[in-house]
Amino acid sequence: MKAKDRYSMTANPPTSVRPDRPKFRDLLARPDIRARWEKVRKYFFLRESTYDMTNRCNIRCDGCYYYEGDKPFAAENLSVPDWRKLMRAEKARGITYVVLAGAEPSLVPQLLEVCYAEMPLGCIATNGFKKIPEPVGYKIHISVWGNDETSEKTRGAKHLLQKQIENYRNDPRAVFVYTFTRENIEEAQGVAAQLVAAGCKMTFNVFSSPVGYAGSLRHDADTLLKTREMMLALLNRYPRQVLFSAYNAVAHTSDRGLHDLYGCSYPRRNPSQDIGLGRSFRQYRTDLNWDRSAACCVPDTDCADCRHYAAGSAVVTARLYRHVGDEDAFKSWLDYVDTYLAVWVMGYEKGENLCNKIIHPPRAAAG
Amino acid sequence: MPVNIELKAIHRRVAEIIIDELKLEDVTPDTFNPEMDLVDELGIDSMDLATIALVLQDEYKIVIDEDDYPRLKTVRLICEYIEDKIATRH
Repeated sequence: MKAKDRYSMTANPPTSVRPDRPKFRDLLARPDIRARWEKVRKYFFLRESTYDMTNRCNIRCDGCYYYEGDKPFAAENLSVPDWRKLMRAEKARGITYVVLAGAEPSLVPQLLEVCYAEMPLGCIATNGFKKIPEPVGYKIHISVWGNDETSEKTRGAKHLLQKQIENYRNDPRAVFVYTFTRENIEEAQGVAAQLVAAGCKMTFNVFSSPVGYAGSLRHDADTLLKTREMMLALLNRYPRQVLFSAYNAVAHTSDRGLHDLYGCSYPRRNPSQDIGLGRSFRQYRTDLNWDRSAACCVPDTDCADCRHYAAGSAVVTARLYRHVGDEDAFKSWLDYVDTYLAVWVMGYEKGENLCNKIIHPPRAAAG
Repeated sequence: MPVNIELKAIHRRVAEIIIDELKLEDVTPDTFNPEMDLVDELGIDSMDLATIALVLQDEYKIVIDEDDYPRLKTVRLICEYIEDKIATRH
């Protein structure tokens, strides 16, 4: 049985509210919860799509999503008028947030500038080697896969972390995204200390294998648990610099992937075009075409292994309904959304987490 | 066929809730078009709809499963859905 079926099927579907289930208005009665709800709901208007900017990259990483599948074979369209036209068309169909990724957006600054001029909310995923011009006021996610020694081994890049910090120290756009693989869990401590000392903000990602990947970075149950422990330790040690929450750690390190836990709402796994991501999300390739059957935030990832931070930001956030069964679940969801907004939206400041308990995803067995 | 009084009251209250939750201006419960497509014409998205559904659950003491959200496309359809749920409850 598919996850979605398991979640939605019951022998006798309930038609009235469980007596022990709090009313939504009661959950909002506490001033701190109400304040956080009002803070995050202002951003419910965000509707994303993602765009590959170029098929080139200045480094080559083991397990890179972009160079799986046929994405890199799409022709590049470097025409500024074409990109302007695309952004205007996207705005017209209701898109309010753009994610500029693949392969390495910093190589085409002229396209970033035109996107920013047309669509002022968004984010760029970069390896951080080449600084993105400051007038491009998007959030910038700098991918970190370990210390310099590990980066040289898995990404073929010398002094990468040092270079990333030089480029983005004290830059309010920057969030360093540490991707936990099976092999770099312990070294996150040293990397976090370096980033914090340089005044940088960081968040966490979990390596999610591309389809068919059988390399050494793929997690197992043991390394997921160790990753969770490390995430929580670093969050505890650096609560202001680490943009994360206890519930983020749970959602992204369960032995079940995000699709199994929450039901992925991206078109690739969601045939419905009625509302939400299934209706509006597109993933454009460098030739400015898109394919519904492949459209998600990390195409060519093995959905069963997907714990990607970008996927969770949409998939967990969309499951408000499942998190209103009790106060801790709702607070955990609010922490997750607060984290997502702080990571992805310029000017949004993360608040203190409301729930530091380990709450298992509602409707999912403990994992 | 005349709309019965109870359904009219539900229409009005649902419209009030939508106006209140979405902070809509220039529309009142009396002027809210019950046939207006909330997604296509009003531009609401899944999170707004989820919020409205939670408030309606409180109001009418029913369960609105998330799988049913796509059915709640207009005030009229929402009212019919609520009526069905209340009828099933009894």
